[in-house]
Amino acid sequence: MDGTHGREADDEDPGGLDLHGTARLLVQTQRRAQRELDFRSPWLSLFAAAVVLVAFGAVWLSVRGQHPYKGPPAGDLAILYALLLIRIGTVVYAHRRAKAGVSGRSVTQERAEGVALVAALVAVYAMMAALANDGASDGVVYGVYVLTATLVVLGTFWAARSAVREEWLELGLAVTILLVAAGSAFAGPSGVWLSDGVGCCALLLAYSAAQAWRLRAARAGA
Amino acid sequence: MTIDALDPLIHVPARLQIAATLAALPDGDALSFTRLQDMLGLTPGNLITHLRKLEDARYVISEKTGNGPSSKTSVALTHRGRAALDAYTEALRELLNGL
Repeated sequence: MDGTHGREADDEDPGGLDLHGTARLLVQTQRRAQRELDFRSPWLSLFAAAVVLVAFGAVWLSVRGQHPYKGPPAGDLAILYALLLIRIGTVVYAHRRAKAGVSGRSVTQERAEGVALVAALVAVYAMMAALANDGASDGVVYGVYVLTATLVVLGTFWAARSAVREEWLELGLAVTILLVAAGSAFAGPSGVWLSDGVGCCALLLAYSAAQAWRLRAARAGA
Repeated sequence: MTIDALDPLIHVPARLQIAATLAALPDGDALSFTRLQDMLGLTPGNLITHLRKLEDARYVISEKTGNGPSSKTSVALTHRGRAALDAYTEALRELLNGL
């Protein structure tokens, strides 16, 4: 790797690197370190786009003819949850791999953020139970509310996280997902699944392309 | 400006890579010795020697936790080390612009 393998430890020679070689080594090392320490990747985003489209699409296909709205049958719900669990599993795996050996402030911050996110999601589902208890229709509780509120919480969390880290592309994605989720609520209990599925899938595809472009530009710059 | 403007402590490929890799971490974070070794592909002895030199200059700080086989060593770039790498990068940029 970059001519440093096997170099003697007491070798103080810059290794015959000229200034251009030194600059190249510096940039390559920085890019590689950033890439290896970051769990996000275009492939992961592409997979998320596919999961969202298939999972939400499957639910929409099962509920689109319902009058009144009863919600997806157990089989389709199982597909939805299985796909979401696979998606969460891939993110957790990628995150653990990227953050292996990393300790310190950012790890503590991420744990605190995780607690806040879980608390917000628990609050969403507690409120869903309260709505059902108060007599709200199935269309509102198991259609519009559950999907919109979940996406709004996830989008807000990701937007705040990205803003703090000055990750503008991710901030743009999170804010747009928020807007898509809010707008999709007007599509009704069945249409919300299709609107969110197509909207989020398109946004994640665009994000994946932007990530790939950014990686290619970084490689070209190196 | 001449090549002497480049910090000789960093102007060694292995140490430049160590500093650049640790600088990719957010401020306040550390990286385990084994992960750093894995990322750079250096032998343990080689890495220890280069880290010791950077530590002597207070560019990096290492912390050992635990005892025996379960002990772990974490390495982090100090503010001084980050500033030195920034100065090195700036000097390198000016030298390249002057060519």
